[in-house]
Amino acid sequence: MIGRLIRLYPAHWRARYGDEFAVVLEERPLGPFDVADVLLGALDAHLHLRGLGAASQHGKGFAMSLRIGGYAAIAGGALWFVALAGNAINDGADSGSSVLGITLVTAIVVATAATLVALVGLSAFQSRRHPVLTWTAFAIPAIGAVVGLLGVVAMAVAGDTDTTFIGGLSAWAVSTIGVTALILGSALFAVATWLSGSLSRAAAALLFVGALLVVPAIGGVTGGLVPPVLGYLALVTAILAFPIGWIALGVSALRIDGPRPITLEGAPL
Amino acid sequence: MEPRIPELGRFAEPALLILVSLSDGPKHGYAIMADVEAGTGRPLGPGTLYAALARLEERGLIEALAPVDRRRPYRLTATGATLLAEQLRELSEFADLGLRRLGRTPG
Repeated sequence: MIGRLIRLYPAHWRARYGDEFAVVLEERPLGPFDVADVLLGALDAHLHLRGLGAASQHGKGFAMSLRIGGYAAIAGGALWFVALAGNAINDGADSGSSVLGITLVTAIVVATAATLVALVGLSAFQSRRHPVLTWTAFAIPAIGAVVGLLGVVAMAVAGDTDTTFIGGLSAWAVSTIGVTALILGSALFAVATWLSGSLSRAAAALLFVGALLVVPAIGGVTGGLVPPVLGYLALVTAILAFPIGWIALGVSALRIDGPRPITLEGAPL
Repeated sequence: MEPRIPELGRFAEPALLILVSLSDGPKHGYAIMADVEAGTGRPLGPGTLYAALARLEERGLIEALAPVDRRRPYRLTATGATLLAEQLRELSEFADLGLRRLGRTPG
């Protein structure tokens, strides 16, 4: 993967920095954060060489940061609250063609995108200690996002949630599987965050509880898997805990990214 | 006119951190990254590190030394050291101003 990442940079840049850059990439496990940062760095190097980046615009360029992940997590959390609460209130009665239905679908799509950005932006430290877990926590939601998006597009094209789409599953079922994968991936990310202690552990715990409760909550309310009272209790807890967990993780990332004292003598800085 | 760190735009902060990291002697890329992360508690991605290193080298604030085992150390140039000192002095004066306005004596 390292060789492919370096090949994304311009030949002139590779000739100068390629060898030493490869050593830096080999030094520790690469996570989604590092890969995204290298992709942005390659884009920046191309624009820089063409005079569209630093040289002509006072050094503006692209950099991955906790700040991006933090803002994405906060935005995603707020949108997940709208999507989950709206869907629970709507109780699946809306076919998706009304204003409310379109609003909920839009909220889910944008929340999914924001969550993926958050998973990348907030994963800088987790991937160094738990690379497999962190990559899994990113890959499952990423696949889920693609599957969910396919389901949403199919619903939009057919104008009907019950139309058979793939493998006998309706478009609605496919999109639900996608969203469920994203939510379960969030639970894995919460575990990686808890283990690494890189962000607020309380926020990670809240996200984990919320993510795990979403599926049984939906099953309990709509499928009769658990008594209705327990189902609704789980649903309300999930609707609150999952979004608040993401928002709290985002806030803790922004706090880390804020001004910090820097010492000038001795190591560390 | 000497280049100023703020002109590095989005890379001004990583650039300042890199210059501070090099202030006690030459370091190669990974050592700079580890040093900055240990000192600030914030991640410094490899793409951001090398984007900032390239800009600093381009502006003559740092210079590359001969590579050792594929690792190339960098060190501050005289211009870089002067600029860093000036930048830190400005930051210190700004911090003192803030502390005075808060009614606290600058330490």
